[in-house]
Amino acid sequence: MIEILLILFAPILGGLVYGFERVVRARMQNRQGPPLLQPFYDMYKLIDKQSFIVNPYHSILGVMHFLTLWAVVAFVILGGNLLYIVFLHLLSVIFIILAGFSVNSIYSHIGSNRELLATLAYEPVLVMLSVGFFMLNGSFDISVIREHTSSIFPLFLLFLAFLLVIPIKLKKSPFDASEAHQEIVGGVEIEFSGVFFEFIYMAKWLEYVFIYLLLLLFAGNNIILGAGLAVAVFFLVNLVDNSTARVKMVHLVKIVLGIGVTLGMLNLLGLGYV
Amino acid sequence: MTPYSILIVSPLVFALVVLVGNAVVRNIFTIIFVIGLSALSLGNIALFSISSELHLSHLFHNLFILLDIIVLFYFLWRGVVSKHSLVIILALLQIVLYGVVITLSPKLISSDILVDQISSIMYLVINMVGGIIIVYALKYIESEEFSRLKKNGFIAMLFFFLAVMNFIVSTNNIEIFFLLFELTTLCSYILIGYRNDEVSVKNALKALWMNQIGGVAILVALLVSILQYDTVYFNILIRIIDVNYLLPIVFLAIAAFVKGASIPFDKWLIGAMVAPTPVSAILHSATMVKIAPYLMLKLAPAMSGFVSITVTLIGTFVFFAATLIALSKDYFKEILGYSTIALLALMMSLAAIGTPEAITACILLIMFHAVSKALLFLQAGILEKNFHLKYVNDINGLVNHSKLVVFFIIVGFASLTLPPFGVFIGKFMAIESISKELLMHPLYVFALIFLALGSVVMTLLYFKVVAKLFAKDVDLKLPHVEISKFYTIPSFLLLILLFIGIAISFEREFLSSAQIIVPLVLILLIPILFSTLLFKNAHRVKEYNCGEKDGLKLGMYYFYLTERTTKSISAVSIIGLLILIIGVLL
Repeated sequence: MIEILLILFAPILGGLVYGFERVVRARMQNRQGPPLLQPFYDMYKLIDKQSFIVNPYHSILGVMHFLTLWAVVAFVILGGNLLYIVFLHLLSVIFIILAGFSVNSIYSHIGSNRELLATLAYEPVLVMLSVGFFMLNGSFDISVIREHTSSIFPLFLLFLAFLLVIPIKLKKSPFDASEAHQEIVGGVEIEFSGVFFEFIYMAKWLEYVFIYLLLLLFAGNNIILGAGLAVAVFFLVNLVDNSTARVKMVHLVKIVLGIGVTLGMLNLLGLGYV
Repeated sequence: MTPYSILIVSPLVFALVVLVGNAVVRNIFTIIFVIGLSALSLGNIALFSISSELHLSHLFHNLFILLDIIVLFYFLWRGVVSKHSLVIILALLQIVLYGVVITLSPKLISSDILVDQISSIMYLVINMVGGIIIVYALKYIESEEFSRLKKNGFIAMLFFFLAVMNFIVSTNNIEIFFLLFELTTLCSYILIGYRNDEVSVKNALKALWMNQIGGVAILVALLVSILQYDTVYFNILIRIIDVNYLLPIVFLAIAAFVKGASIPFDKWLIGAMVAPTPVSAILHSATMVKIAPYLMLKLAPAMSGFVSITVTLIGTFVFFAATLIALSKDYFKEILGYSTIALLALMMSLAAIGTPEAITACILLIMFHAVSKALLFLQAGILEKNFHLKYVNDINGLVNHSKLVVFFIIVGFASLTLPPFGVFIGKFMAIESISKELLMHPLYVFALIFLALGSVVMTLLYFKVVAKLFAKDVDLKLPHVEISKFYTIPSFLLLILLFIGIAISFEREFLSSAQIIVPLVLILLIPILFSTLLFKNAHRVKEYNCGEKDGLKLGMYYFYLTERTTKSISAVSIIGLLILIIGVLL
């Protein structure tokens, strides 16, 4: 029952996290910042807007991106197979990439290209992460992982690799080149408007839920550790976001693939031997 | 008559029938025959006992030896005529080795024909997918400028190919296997050179000499097997083989790498593109290259320790490297070709792992890769014939001209990467089984990394192409063309096979039901949303273009691979093969 409720309210939960993050980020910069519920005010305003579309494929693929991501989050909450979840998540990313390519806009295309490259960088890390959990717990099932004790120490290197992935997925500096508002006007988001932009906006919130739920897996059955981990990572990510400059796409791929895969490999090798 | 003998003999007879007669009669007969063949291969799996054995008489053995000598001398003759020294040397080498092999008479005898579950599955792939491609070829070949006899000969050749393939997956005798291996080489040589222009002849010769290396490898394996183990039968060899002396297995595996066009033997399959498209379709999906994973599956029980790990590592490395090379290509068929090479290498490494789960994954990949690739190659043929498009960069905005072709291409690519399609399940199980091996042996970590990197590069590659289909292009003006039913119906049949595949994996519980239904519903939602959402009322706007009024023409991006990278990829795979041979010898 609680799972169903969690799934239903996942976008709202994500919206709250997103709103809180804006407050925290503003305070870090010595600003007042928007109210906590600002994302929901935005949503309310967007409903009223007239819907402008470029072409139907574009709009539908945007909606599909949101729906698939919701399904991904549902699988995580219900304790599904982690490896499968990683690939289903890939499907959701592919929808938004195709949406970006389906309009004849230069910003949208660059955004999609960058999104593809970013996927290339973080996807192997996520796969290795799942394999790490499998080697430790003997199962890919999240429900089994949640029953075991914390795996943060045996999977510490993979945890570090995962920390590199978080800013990419949450579009945070230094790895936010695929959105890069000042440069390519939001990339794939640019041509969405009105109701259809709402779906993209909510998908962004779901991405938060997805990433933080994955993070909680490191804590296993230790709830206190999980809470601590989430809070610590939340502040760390925002601190880094506020204090670093955006890196170029090519560097993003090199850094995340090079460091992430090396860390993952070392970790898996270590698990095999110990 | 047993089902397998009908499957082997009837296409041979039918090949002679289609040689004469006009197009209409030929087409009707072919369609009926293909339906019969598919029904028989289905019936074989459903009704008849799965395993059957047979020992062929002495007469047959002598006939096969005669055939073999004819084929080898034909290769020699082709080499002399076209002054190709490699072909001549390899043909001579094969003749000498074969001469030695037939003088020896090993004592341990088993049955020549052995049909097991894997053979039955291969029958399905060969006859159903191959049959559908032949139906497609009926129309395709009519649009080529050949004489009537040559057109009919093309169809006959394809049927001959099917017969050889049906035989090769039924045989248990390595000597007969060698003959059939050479016959498939012969088929591909003739089919690739069918247009008989300069490029075709050159590429056909390339295919010939590369595949001859495979022939030599089989002969060496045969020789070692006879001298060391006194047998020429797969099942006996696998049973009595000494784990410290796996030399015959390694040479057979190398033959598989050659047939599977694994890097560094990839050039022949890519060269095969010059032939009429049905040839590529049939080589890449139902026949020829599928010998490679099939042979590996046959050898799987004998592989252990060093050999298993090395083959797995080579396979996964090729999987990664081939997708990387494909990323730098623009020619649609070439992209498909390299992704075939990649997936075949993956199948071979799964077979080499040899756990039940890995074997299931391998079989799933064999089946559904065939269907998806056939579907994609058929579309490549349509693009060439109807729209005169060969390069990905030119297919901008095809969605405005032929929704159906675009739909098929998207489904084809999606079925190679996304849940819940068969190939995805295969890859998914591949990662699972490699993770399990990883617990035993740390070296598998490299296999895992290659697999993870390779599959994400593959996704990048496929969706780069799919994205191009969606992209609108102001310049593209194509004439309106009606696509022939001979082209669309085979594509629809393949589509049905894909969905049957989903049904099978649903029933066999390769994935849980939610894991299959959710993505299926999501994918089916797209057309539903498309037809229900009322876009007529929505305001259409142009894209934000910084106020510029000119239309944009957006090109394709490539990933440039330097000469050095490609060379080092070949070098690594050659070193891998050498390590395999030397390691076993030591």
